[in-house]
Amino acid sequence: MTGPITKLTANYSETAIEDEVVLLNLDSGDFFSLKGTARHIWELIDGVRTRDAILAELARSYHLQAEALAPDVDGYLAELSTAGLIAR
Amino acid sequence: MAREMQFRTGTVPDNVDGRPVAVGDQLLAGDAYLLRTTSGFGYFYRKGHGLIVEQPPGADPNEQALWLNAGVYSAVACINGLKPIHASAVAWDGRVYAFTGAPGAGKSTLVAALGDCGLPMFCDDTLVLDLSGGPVICLPGHKRLKLTPQALALTGAQPQEKVSSAVDKFFAVPASGEVGVPLPLAQLVFLERGEIPAVEPLSGGERLARLGESHYTEFLFEQANALDRAEVFQQRAQLARRVAMSRLVRPWTPDRVAQSADFVARWIRAAGKQRR
Repeated sequence: MTGPITKLTANYSETAIEDEVVLLNLDSGDFFSLKGTARHIWELIDGVRTRDAILAELARSYHLQAEALAPDVDGYLAELSTAGLIAR
Repeated sequence: MAREMQFRTGTVPDNVDGRPVAVGDQLLAGDAYLLRTTSGFGYFYRKGHGLIVEQPPGADPNEQALWLNAGVYSAVACINGLKPIHASAVAWDGRVYAFTGAPGAGKSTLVAALGDCGLPMFCDDTLVLDLSGGPVICLPGHKRLKLTPQALALTGAQPQEKVSSAVDKFFAVPASGEVGVPLPLAQLVFLERGEIPAVEPLSGGERLARLGESHYTEFLFEQANALDRAEVFQQRAQLARRVAMSRLVRPWTPDRVAQSADFVARWIRAAGKQRR
């Protein structure tokens, strides 16, 4: 997991409503509502940052150790990947 | 819309621009709409050319009006850039409070019962929205209120004639009358049943998910605007951003309709005061 993470923009449509980002998987029709940290991570995925760079950025933002955040972030990235929203 | 819905009688085609439409089917394509009913009615509309109604021998005028006010009206609205939604509504303090839910959710009965609480009806079953400007504007209702005998007994609405021989509903006049001018939409409220009455605002994602109800008005709007899945999503998102939406939980057994209506009426009046 050292390469950049990219959004698979052809697979979803995205919109922001108030404090939420809502994604629609165009294939399955499933909705994804991203708030708080989930939205933050989504916004950090820019096709350039790697998993480690995202972790480092989050650690800076929330004043936490990257290692402490890693399990949750890895789990979330795996969910996004399984849903066909990102490629790692 | 009143101008567009003026019709002349005549023969309707059996296709729209070469695309055949079977009896019992309908098609909206581009700026044209064709409905052919199994009872022999035909309705054909093309923007700029008006509406033609084909009547079968011995046509029932009540049935003709039912088709006209349901799918045909919604299709004409969609072709003219408006958005019909499946909702009944009341007006209060210059704004519209609309209630939506699946058939049988109690939309018409609630609106009729709110009439008994002093809130005039704005529309029954279909609410037509104009999304072209800043605030979302509601066009006045075009359908008469229709209620079952039980709902009539519960709501204080005045019964009129039977809707048709095949439907056990009566036209009705709501106790506080109707409002017939365009007004901005204050809230779109999704009806639910539950023991404890409550109104809760919906988050953005919840609004979007709930706007996906399968109803003929949605299909017509998507056909009229030739929207793919992503465009439907973005269009609903636009509505979700512009309109406050809530879920209303209320008990909905016959003995508690009046109690629920009273709760909703107090909520609407409080919302009106809060805005000032």
